[in-house]
Amino acid sequence: MKVDIEINGRTRTVAVERAGTRFRLAFDGRVETVDLARVDGRTWSLIVLGDRPESHEVGLLEGADPGELEIYLRTGVLRARLGSRAATRGPRVGGDQASRAVGAARVTTPMPGKVIRVLVAPGDRVTARQGLVVVEAMKMENELRSPKAGVVRELYVSEGMPVEAGRLLVVVE
Amino acid sequence: MKILVANRGEIAVRVIRACRDMGLRTVAVYSDCDRAGLHVRFADEAYAIGPDAPAESYLRIDRILDVARQSGADAVHPGYGFLAENATFARACRGQGLTFIGPPVEAIEVMGSKTGARRAALEAGVKVVPGTLEPLGPETPDAAISALADEVGYPLFVKAVAGGGGKGMRLVTEPFDLAGAVRAARSESTSSFGDPHIYLERRLVGPRHVEIQLLGDHLGTIVPFVERECSVQRRHQKVLEESPSVAVTPALREAMASSACAVARKVGYTNAGTIEFLLDEAGEFYFLEMNTRLQVEHPITELVSLVDLVQWQIRIARGEPLTLDRARTLTPRGHAIECRVYAEDPDNEFLPSPGRVLGLRVPAGPGVRRDDGGVTPGLDVPVVYDPLIAKLSVWGLDRDQAIARTARALAEYEVRGIKTTIPFFRWLLENEDFRSGRVDTTFLDRELARRNGRSFVTVPAESEVVALMAAAMYWCERSAGHRSAAPRESPWKRQARAEGLR
Repeated sequence: MKVDIEINGRTRTVAVERAGTRFRLAFDGRVETVDLARVDGRTWSLIVLGDRPESHEVGLLEGADPGELEIYLRTGVLRARLGSRAATRGPRVGGDQASRAVGAARVTTPMPGKVIRVLVAPGDRVTARQGLVVVEAMKMENELRSPKAGVVRELYVSEGMPVEAGRLLVVVE
Repeated sequence: MKILVANRGEIAVRVIRACRDMGLRTVAVYSDCDRAGLHVRFADEAYAIGPDAPAESYLRIDRILDVARQSGADAVHPGYGFLAENATFARACRGQGLTFIGPPVEAIEVMGSKTGARRAALEAGVKVVPGTLEPLGPETPDAAISALADEVGYPLFVKAVAGGGGKGMRLVTEPFDLAGAVRAARSESTSSFGDPHIYLERRLVGPRHVEIQLLGDHLGTIVPFVERECSVQRRHQKVLEESPSVAVTPALREAMASSACAVARKVGYTNAGTIEFLLDEAGEFYFLEMNTRLQVEHPITELVSLVDLVQWQIRIARGEPLTLDRARTLTPRGHAIECRVYAEDPDNEFLPSPGRVLGLRVPAGPGVRRDDGGVTPGLDVPVVYDPLIAKLSVWGLDRDQAIARTARALAEYEVRGIKTTIPFFRWLLENEDFRSGRVDTTFLDRELARRNGRSFVTVPAESEVVALMAAAMYWCERSAGHRSAAPRESPWKRQARAEGLR
């Protein structure tokens, strides 16, 4: 079977076949055989077979969005988006990135807390990295900044308002 | 003896462990969201003291004292943070016949005021950072403050008299900005500490933050320890500490230790405390402030001195004399480094990243000590408390070995589900200036500004291939109908259900 996998903005097609604990993987014009042992539900030990079998431990977590996988490696975590070949060929992935670059930027709070200061008003012109809203969480005041230069189109919160993680605060266009 | 631990998280666990080591019984207090916390599970007795918000639980002196009465505790250990430097709490404990495991109330009061502390240091014959000595209230005219500022010299800091942790503090580089900075510092200090008083302090050029831990008993013996180097700070908050400091010679150590003891003696200090100094390039050091409690970074002192500071806090509190040898406590045995692991996203301006821990791999092996409050898969890191989730302290025979072991331990360390500062520390440990010990209090902010938000997660191309293969294998397994390897709340399943219903 074949699957499209996007990591760090690059999509590659991988052909996978499984026989027992071994997987044969073909991608980028190379073929690898990998042995899998499950350590626990979320941790795999992989050995890439060859003259010098390479040992890797990976942690796997399904991401917040369907089709997203977080892969924990010794060097850090990578996010992969995967799907059948048809699914990721569509305009969704590219469209998402495009809207980030030229369209409206939606500023959300990554953590729950309380809005203690609103630094902008609708219609204000802001520069990239300019502070928009200050949210207090975990005893710290956190200034949430604009990801881009533009104009404040929408302001969804006011001072004193409690906010949930992921709550949309400001739209900058 | 039974000890009530008026705290939560890793420090409560640390104190409970010391009590266990000494065969003492322990009493934990907990807020609603800490019901399953490690400090609750480790203690002999545990009492609920209220809702999550600190003001309704861990800061409720009345409730904590009720628990002390109910449990028949003899002593209270405040840990750090919360009520640890609250003179009212210390006094209330003593008023109820409880032993407060900490310094005398009077010492907490004097050192709680930055200007009071500066005066005490001067009276003890110790240099302070040049600045004003009297607290400046709102009644002081702008013109008077401006004249004082000219005397102190620019650039200078406007600091809250009641301040701490970088709050109520403003840097002023030119006279034009002074009045605004004074107003801002006053208002921040009033809202954070209920005190509008400020003072001025000259900003030293490229200073290191070096501090001396000490212990004092009730017979007047004060024992200093090898210095801690705490210059690696982000916005005036320590993130990594080490002991000893590469910048401190044995002669300088002796001088700093003697000064620290003189200040402590001046205020009749007992129990554990720390004198913080700024050390300039010429080797001159200036008193900055005193922390009248155990500190976050105490494990590195324990690692290079072989002394259990928390056990000594308890022994001193119950009247035992110090039997430590100053010559030994001032001689480092090896080198230790502490990393403060926070639930913060280093790739998003270090914003808090609370949430549910979904997986954990903890470092171990030679030289590794880990203090955490029970961050376990399935448990939430609460949003209402300090985001410190663990301290990784590592010992090595020398600094190079300590750095190598810390880097190794960080590579083993993995917290899944929430963002932590672990990737940031992996980067820091590779930084050339850090590795060669060229750090001052401005080092980290400067380096971070230079990175300009670049990700700390630098995954080499080979690892990307491993991730690609793992993702493909995962897809293959999932398609074959195997149970999902890694459900979070399983959004995939949720989606499938939603689609099935449609």
